[in-house]
Amino acid sequence: MTTTSALAASMRAGYKDYGFGEMAVRALNGVNVDIARSEFTAIMGPSGSGKSTLLHTLAGLDRLTAGTSSISDIEITALTESQVTEVRRKNIGFVFQSFNLIPSLTARENITLPLDIAGTSVDGSWFDEIIGILGLGDRLTHLPAELSGGQQQRVAVARALMSRPEIIFADEPSGNLDSRSGAELLGFMRRAVKEFGQTIVMVTHDPTAASYADRILFLEDGVIVDEMREPTAEKILDRMKRMGS
Amino acid sequence: MLRIALKNVKHNPKRLILTAIAVALGVSLVAATHVFTNALSSGFSALFNDIYDTVDVIVEPDPDAQIDLPEGVSVFQESDIDKVRATAGVAAADGNLTYPGVLLDKDGKAPNGGQGGPPTLVINWSTTPDLAGATVIDGRAPAADGEAIVDVGAFAKDALALGDTIKIASERGVAEFTVVGTARFGEDNNTQGATLVYTTAASAQLFAGVDGFDGIQALVTDGANPDQVAEAVGAVIPEGTRALTGEQKAAEQAAEFDQVLQYVDIFTLAFALISLFVGAYIIANTFRIIVTQRTRELGLLRAIGMRGSQVRSMILLEAAAVGVVASTTGLLLGWGLALGITAWLERLSGDIFGTITLPPDAIAWGYGLGMLVTLVSALLPALHAARIAPMEALRESGTQSRKPLRTRNIVGVALLAAGGAVFAIGLFAGFDSPYVFVGFGGALLVLGTTLLGPQVLVPLAFGLRGVLTKLFRLDGKLAANNIHREPRRSANTAAALMIGVMLLALVATFTQSLKATFSEQFSTANADFFITPTAGPVPQAALDVVAADADVAYVSRVAWEEVQVDGATRSLAIIDADTADLAFGYPHDRDFTELAGGVFVDPAIQAQGVGVGDSVTIVGPATTQTLTVTGLYERDGDANYFVDWETGSQLVGETAIQQAMVGLNDGADPEIARDRIESELAVDFPLVQLQDASELQQFVNQFIDLFLTIISALLGSALVIAILGVMNTLLLSVTERTREIGLLRAVGLRKSSVWRMITIESLVMALFGAMLGMILGVAVGAALVRSLADFGFSSVAIPWRLLGVYTLLAGVAGVAAALWPARRASRLDILKAIATE
Ligand SMILES: Nc1ncnc2c1ncn2[C@@H]1O[C@H](COP(=O)(O)OP(=O)(O)O)[C@@H](O)[C@H]1O
Ligand SMILES: [Mg+2]
Repeated sequence: MTTTSALAASMRAGYKDYGFGEMAVRALNGVNVDIARSEFTAIMGPSGSGKSTLLHTLAGLDRLTAGTSSISDIEITALTESQVTEVRRKNIGFVFQSFNLIPSLTARENITLPLDIAGTSVDGSWFDEIIGILGLGDRLTHLPAELSGGQQQRVAVARALMSRPEIIFADEPSGNLDSRSGAELLGFMRRAVKEFGQTIVMVTHDPTAASYADRILFLEDGVIVDEMREPTAEKILDRMKRMGS
Repeated sequence: MLRIALKNVKHNPKRLILTAIAVALGVSLVAATHVFTNALSSGFSALFNDIYDTVDVIVEPDPDAQIDLPEGVSVFQESDIDKVRATAGVAAADGNLTYPGVLLDKDGKAPNGGQGGPPTLVINWSTTPDLAGATVIDGRAPAADGEAIVDVGAFAKDALALGDTIKIASERGVAEFTVVGTARFGEDNNTQGATLVYTTAASAQLFAGVDGFDGIQALVTDGANPDQVAEAVGAVIPEGTRALTGEQKAAEQAAEFDQVLQYVDIFTLAFALISLFVGAYIIANTFRIIVTQRTRELGLLRAIGMRGSQVRSMILLEAAAVGVVASTTGLLLGWGLALGITAWLERLSGDIFGTITLPPDAIAWGYGLGMLVTLVSALLPALHAARIAPMEALRESGTQSRKPLRTRNIVGVALLAAGGAVFAIGLFAGFDSPYVFVGFGGALLVLGTTLLGPQVLVPLAFGLRGVLTKLFRLDGKLAANNIHREPRRSANTAAALMIGVMLLALVATFTQSLKATFSEQFSTANADFFITPTAGPVPQAALDVVAADADVAYVSRVAWEEVQVDGATRSLAIIDADTADLAFGYPHDRDFTELAGGVFVDPAIQAQGVGVGDSVTIVGPATTQTLTVTGLYERDGDANYFVDWETGSQLVGETAIQQAMVGLNDGADPEIARDRIESELAVDFPLVQLQDASELQQFVNQFIDLFLTIISALLGSALVIAILGVMNTLLLSVTERTREIGLLRAVGLRKSSVWRMITIESLVMALFGAMLGMILGVAVGAALVRSLADFGFSSVAIPWRLLGVYTLLAGVAGVAAALWPARRASRLDILKAIATE
């Protein structure tokens, strides 16, 4: 991606309401956020604080009720549905908490899926490099059902990295993993940021997971209430206690 | 449990909708037919009551007796009527005579060339009001010979006026009548479309060419019991005739008609069963998919204590609920359909239906078949559901292993082998009635193919994966994967279509071969024109007119009769031996001119060891003759025995000419000759038409095409159901793959790509089913034609053009079936999709 902007993503005065009238829930209540390039950003907050909503609206999976959000310097809130699909395909990678892979495709096919969708050819050396780092070399011909949970999530990360997207969004990527597999996965994600300059935004409520990030945004009732740089697990726990959650 | 079952149905009505429609369509066919035939039955029963309402006693030939009378001599003479009149209790009696003809238009031409449509009936007018069966409305009753009155319906329809001269043609010639009045038949002039012309007894007899009457109708004196009078009359009437009351006659006629309608019921029931059989695949598929989708839920129910048998009953209850709703819908649909059709027919041909009700037998058949097919089809999935272990509740969805196809394959191969063997026996072993073997073998082949479908589909999908990926890149690959992932489901879906298309291809092959056989046989025709009868046999007098034309070289006649030889019923062809070979290139070892008062025998008789020089004793309707075999006929199916006209006339008496072939002199211009001959014929025989060989073939082809059209239309509902099945499978698998599709969309797959993926899936299933169906249909059809060689089928023809059309239609249907599922898939809300459990 050769864009001039220093920001990989941003949101200005982001509001998101679900439902109407009495039933309405305000999930985002005026969020301003900048995601710097080549940084590992974690979004933390209590359950229901709007973390997933923030991620989805930043990634163009969902639309803001009011405000603007951009991916690099493309304002996606101004685009049509099919244009947003285009942006997602070209500029964004995803890692979900579970069910990341197409069951009928092998690990290799899942990894190259975004390129297949775009119809572009696979960069063999880049593929080998990712596979090498994620340790998936001997699993490539397996179907998702034949992989462990940790392996499945690593395939998902590999897929997200494969098209060298502007930004990767991950929603609780280690949420379903045991602590060892989780730590491994987060370690790989961190290496991707450090070694390839990949931008990653990750939602988590786990202080240990968040400690792999360069920067943490704290969300409460749909507003960003604090941020932390160079976090450690203790600092985060400390901060969370002060938030009283 | 009933509550859970009903909740399940209510909770997820969408995934059961198409299943219900499939059942409903099959049921509606049954219901519509029953409603329709019931209405016809009551309409005709009213008609018969109308006809015989005023008549107390009827005298007619006994249907069980055989009366042999010379041509032109009637069963009842004036003297018989006098005897009836003289019987105690009879107040009045009259002879009655009805003879069919065609009312010619103002130009003296027969409408539609005299073919089809209700007839014109020429009836003698009875001066006894209650015996006429009709009432004079305008003008007056016919008094002098050549005067007639016409029923009010036809009078208005044909824009007649009193004083007009009308011409009515029969195969005997043309008669002219002067219209002196109009009559209303019965109470409502309910003639079922026929035109009624009443004239004097003498004019009617002249028209019919007889010297008496077909029957006698009588009224009894006040207070007399018709039953007793009928018995008394029975004692004075000729041998081989009977007397019965009007009431009995009406009931008998209605019962006879109902018998015919019952065949209609059975005929359409066969097609409804085909539809429901195809529907069964869809029901089984739906329930299998539902059970799979609910594996975790069912596991949970088992975990909290539900027994396997209860799970099974629950699924069957769901099926029953679907069956009730679907059968009810089908009944109402069928009723509506019948209402529509009868209304339309009544507009076309008048008031022919009684009150239209939903008869009890329609309700019984509808619910019976609907429930049966739903429950039977849901049985296997229900049994499968009963075996789900509680542990399944804890397992990650989407990770359960695929059940092996081994049992299914073994049974499939066994059926295929058995089918092939029976098939081969039918074709090559030379047993009697080989078509029975071929038919049975064909059915086994179809079942075997259905079972082996998944085994064929797996490699096929894999082979296609490469091609589809090349053609449609990722969309093609994903589509191939989806088919491959659920081979059973895809194969069952395709099998439903296969069966429909197979029957279609079978009938098409059959009719195509029939056409080819005709055209092959007609390729040896040398005659310039053919005369085939339209109403009754071809009159000799008309042939005399043709033969008298200066350009005509010969007129060669053909007649067919049934005769007895050695106690078996055989067919006998009677030909003009000296001209037959000029007119037609018959296959025989020597010319018919060498018949010499003997007989030629066909391959079926030759197979009994009969050869030239042997003698054959033929028992004909008139006489028994022992004839010498003077030659061999060499084609199956035309007739067993061939004799010349003189011998034939001795055997059967008066011979009814069924075909005549006309040859012109060398150098005569066929068109000029034809125009002249036709105008010569038009004077007295407007119903006799000339056709050249290609017209005759077209005429035959028309009937074959009509047959194909009717069968295709009846198979239509099975095909619609099969296409619904494709749609159903796709919808269910879209639901199942919600998360997957959401994920694909999240990582950037375009809506149009999703649409394309579903459409490719649909196309592969539709084309696969259609292809298999066509292969099987053509194979079984061709084999059937071969096995019917004894009936004269000489060539097997493959209906390539129709197969092309069917392939195209399957493609269109495939794209159409994908519309709704693809729309749903491409419109999935991505966020909701990836949040779906
Ligand atoms: N589709 C939805 N419809 C209605 N309310 C929703 C929907 N999605 C989220 N919410 C509500 O918005 C708020 C924020 O949700 P979410 O972003 O999922 O929080 P988090 O991920 O931090 O747990 C919650 O109150 C949640 O109930
Ligand atoms: Mg969340």
